[in-house]
Amino acid sequence: MAEYSRLASGMVTSVLTGAPTSVILPFIPNFIQIYNSTRALAVTGVTSATWMTDMGQGAAFVDTTSAGPADGTSFITTGGFSTFRGALSQQFGPVLAIASITQSASAPVVTTTTAHGLVSGNVVTFSNLYESPTTGMQQIAGIPFVVTVTGPTTFTIAFNNSGSNYTAISGSPTTPIPTVKQILYPNLYAPSVGFIAAITLGTTTTIQTTAPSNIQVGQEVAFRIPSAWGTTQLNSLPNVIIPGSPIYGYVSAVTSATTFVVQINSTGFTPFNPNQVFATFPGEQFAQVVAVGDINSGGYPYTGAQLYPSPAFYNGYGTGLTNSINGPSIQGAFANNTSMGFIIGGSISGTTGDTIFWRAYAHDLNT
Amino acid sequence: MPPNGGTTCRFMRPRSLVPPTIQLGNSGIDPPAQVPQRDLIDAQMAFFGTGCIINEQVILQDQEGVLAWVSERLAVAMRQAEDLILRDYIVSAASQINAGGGSNGDNPTNLGVSDFSLVATTLDTNNAYKFMSGIEGMDRFGTGPVRSAYFMLSSTELQTDLDGLTGAGFLNQWNYPTNASALPSEYGSVFNVRILTSSEAPVARAASANGRDVYYNTVVGKQAITHINQDGYSMNLIYRDPYYSGMLAQNATIAVKFAQAQALTQDTAIRNLLCTRATNAFAS
Repeated sequence: MAEYSRLASGMVTSVLTGAPTSVILPFIPNFIQIYNSTRALAVTGVTSATWMTDMGQGAAFVDTTSAGPADGTSFITTGGFSTFRGALSQQFGPVLAIASITQSASAPVVTTTTAHGLVSGNVVTFSNLYESPTTGMQQIAGIPFVVTVTGPTTFTIAFNNSGSNYTAISGSPTTPIPTVKQILYPNLYAPSVGFIAAITLGTTTTIQTTAPSNIQVGQEVAFRIPSAWGTTQLNSLPNVIIPGSPIYGYVSAVTSATTFVVQINSTGFTPFNPNQVFATFPGEQFAQVVAVGDINSGGYPYTGAQLYPSPAFYNGYGTGLTNSINGPSIQGAFANNTSMGFIIGGSISGTTGDTIFWRAYAHDLNT
Repeated sequence: MPPNGGTTCRFMRPRSLVPPTIQLGNSGIDPPAQVPQRDLIDAQMAFFGTGCIINEQVILQDQEGVLAWVSERLAVAMRQAEDLILRDYIVSAASQINAGGGSNGDNPTNLGVSDFSLVATTLDTNNAYKFMSGIEGMDRFGTGPVRSAYFMLSSTELQTDLDGLTGAGFLNQWNYPTNASALPSEYGSVFNVRILTSSEAPVARAASANGRDVYYNTVVGKQAITHINQDGYSMNLIYRDPYYSGMLAQNATIAVKFAQAQALTQDTAIRNLLCTRATNAFAS
């Protein structure tokens, strides 16, 4: 019987050594198999792995090859395959204890007490960032941050916490334990609200957000900047020229996943101030930018693959853009980016850039 | 959205013109013309569906009328999906205000009456339209008048905190002068906000600065959001007789599918008011 089964195959590139790689499918598989041709040619590492749903999430039947005693077959229960349903917001990964966070004007280093299992492009949120009732960096707790992974227990975030109101966290505090956890599906709908990390003033205004908000060129945006963050002149209201009419800006360039240029002359505006006072964190407001429309009339450019490309989003799974499973749309439109599929866990995903061939089934019958 | 209208629904929002507050004088010269401008808002249609495969033996032999109750469950699942999609979209797209009027020392804090005042003032200042006109006071014990109001969509888990604001500004729905205009899910009101509670309201568990659960309370004006259907495609219930399956025609299928898009049509008229609870204890 094969009336209701689902079969799919494809190729994916391993995003990072020892980190998960995800594959989006139009169904949740109950059988997955991968072949890593790069590892086979190198004669080292996991060359193939298999999973059936009854093995449990995280498991895999693994074939390894090497010149040494690791050659053979094994069964693992963590770091193997898992399935995902990226459909509901507010889902988080495991809570990880933080050993330290440095101060930096551009890239504070976060060190976790155990391996974090993150890949660059994942989005996280923090809690309990204080060492004493008056010191730490609670000012940034609750803000979503995209991470750049620098090691098994370290990653950086793009924020200026070098100000005098921040205190570095060190020595694995225990009362309370500072924590971080991944926001599993930070961009189910796009474009989304962005939290502002930095603003460069000038004849045009460059905005850096703490995580990708999938703003497009041609996007119309509005600002919500509390007075403590400085640049309130960008706020959409009040408008002293036309009462009640919001002031918007248009995005003329998107230079990275978290940086874009808005056509607003902000020369002479109050500088952006990330140096928030620790004691004011209860009820602290965050500086935000939201998409309010767009002036585009065309879809996503043809790049040699799909004839009518789907919207491409930073979805929090990695650093690159991923096409949604929806059809084509106007750039900058509010779009659905929900998805499902499977994850090749860090124990079987090989090394960065490995070529992995996969097939996935949802069988008619599983007993 | 009409059929054959493409994948993306486009809305137009006209911009205000500068009010002519400068007198013409007597020169006889007309003032410069204004250029009418508009904002465009695009929303991409997305398609959804789910279904069940039911063996003909079940249809033949089950005493409960399986097709009837499965149809009902599919209809409920579809309506829930519509609501959940819109809920998560609002969480994703609308800007937020952290509650600061509570006293639990967190960010956001638990709800204080000043938070309701702040969010209503914000929407009022942004010229948002309220959903409800007020309820005039009556000479009935224990009741009080209700202001014209925005709706706030909240979690049922916040009801104890709302009860805690009784006397400080919170008026339970039962204490309205008349319940005629109260909705079934309406829990009460604070100042210019009428509160609807649901167990499906968005909650980010252990996500506050101090590790408490964070509740997203969507406070919305009339013109803030839109939910768009695809013409001729909303609410399709699809039943396929076993005749269409396999050689022996053993399996029927019953399914629902629908299409929807959503957009913020006026970003200034909506805010997610984030809060925690006074205490994080919750009896499940």
